[in-house]
Amino acid sequence: MPNNIGKRAATIGWPVLVTAVILLGWEISVRTLGIRSIILPPPSAVFEAMTDRHDLLLAHLWPSLYLTVLGFVLSVVGGIFVAVLITYSSIVRKGFYPVIVVSQVIPKISIAPLFIVWFGTGTMSSLLLAFLVAFFPMTINAAMGFESIDEDIHRMARTFMGSRWQIFWKIRMPNALPYIFGGMKISITLAIIGVIVSEFVASQEGIGYLIKLAGGLLDTPLMLAAITALSISGLALYAIIAGAESWAVYWQPPSDAVAAGGG
Amino acid sequence: MRSAVASPAPGPAPGCAHDDGAAIVRIAALKKSFGDLEAIRQISFDVADGEFLSVLGPSGCGKSTLLMMIAGVIEPSAGEIQIKGANVAGPRREVGVVFQSPVLLPWRTVLQNVLFPIELLKLPRAPYRQRATELLRMAKIDEFAGMLPRQLSGGMRQRVAICRALVHDPSILLMDEPFSALDAITRDEMAVELQRIWQANRKTVIFVTHSIREAAFLSDRVLVMGRRPATIIDELAINLPRPRHIAVTEDENFNRLVRHLRKAIEASHAE
Repeated sequence: MPNNIGKRAATIGWPVLVTAVILLGWEISVRTLGIRSIILPPPSAVFEAMTDRHDLLLAHLWPSLYLTVLGFVLSVVGGIFVAVLITYSSIVRKGFYPVIVVSQVIPKISIAPLFIVWFGTGTMSSLLLAFLVAFFPMTINAAMGFESIDEDIHRMARTFMGSRWQIFWKIRMPNALPYIFGGMKISITLAIIGVIVSEFVASQEGIGYLIKLAGGLLDTPLMLAAITALSISGLALYAIIAGAESWAVYWQPPSDAVAAGGG
Repeated sequence: MRSAVASPAPGPAPGCAHDDGAAIVRIAALKKSFGDLEAIRQISFDVADGEFLSVLGPSGCGKSTLLMMIAGVIEPSAGEIQIKGANVAGPRREVGVVFQSPVLLPWRTVLQNVLFPIELLKLPRAPYRQRATELLRMAKIDEFAGMLPRQLSGGMRQRVAICRALVHDPSILLMDEPFSALDAITRDEMAVELQRIWQANRKTVIFVTHSIREAAFLSDRVLVMGRRPATIIDELAINLPRPRHIAVTEDENFNRLVRHLRKAIEASHAE
């Protein structure tokens, strides 16, 4: 057990140490080289901006996070639904699935200006863009999860007279969970990007708008503070999903915990 | 005179075995082709109630296909399969199947895996829960009931699979090379265990294997299947007293039976 804690401390400790060294090097070099704050503020100035102007940051952060989470949830629900159709309908599988897979190569972010034309500069555009970019990886992952069941497991369930409905809920669904969580981790990251890009293009609020505004005002510390707040939020959303995954997919420990679980 | 093999364990009814015509499984003129590929040319045999029958043959000869047809998950191209006088048209409640790999559900505990057929068959949980626990005890894995499959060894997983196949109390147990993925030592151990479980439960067993020794050790009767397109090329009654210990495999009687079976298989290769 103490050994375990030591191992865990090491996995967290090293990256923290590296980050600290980078920040320290940044701070020292900015000061000694006399780089102007407009070009590159020191970490201390960014931290100051974050504490002094946290009201402003939070006011713009919340709408962005709200749209991100909403777009993400819609993409998860929609993605799983379409994945079920892909699994059970040969028309959808043969007709739509290849189209969905191929459309992966389209940089969907480039559609943002079109959405502004269609839905205006409000929240609707941001929400739809978040949904659109998050939806595809979700669908593909869930479909892979539903379909990747072992032929023998399927056969086993059939010998015990399992119905299609039972096979879906008792086999396909739990089997797909690791894939679904894998998709969710990709989708949450993409949903954030979708919202931010949409706010860059045209918006009156949101953290993307604030970053653009701070850039226009040459307020670089505020800009970096906004980026930092956004990064921390993204990390937190990712951590929530990873935590839910290790709870829901309890039979498949994450790779770094294999030794602990197997012992 | 296969019923000459009297078992010391109490049978279903004295003398009920093979001579009174009480066939529980009846296979008549069975054929199976996959497209142009003729897998099974013509197979007919009966299995008596409570009999341990092995189907022995080389890999890829269609043994598993035969078993899956009896299980009702593969449809024959021609011929008939009857279980208790009724034609098999799909999976049936009185059949339990053990596969080559344990095919346990990794997210379920050992006990939940054993109870899986009960859920699928929508049977009441409470009474079968007790039965499942008893089966696990009989298979000597009751202390692992709350564990996940990945925490178990290969041999223990296959024991779980056997318990799962027995949980709904089927009268027929179909086994598709259940020990072929195990190491040699575990294999011998499992054969002895299976015999013990079979003697305690008195199921009819159809056991598919490519191991001559395993077939001879476990069975009341062995059917030898030839190469594809398969037919039954030989049949041998194993009149060794039960319970059989692994030491019986060094016995001259046992080795005579093994030689007989080996010759039958070699003859099919020579054709």
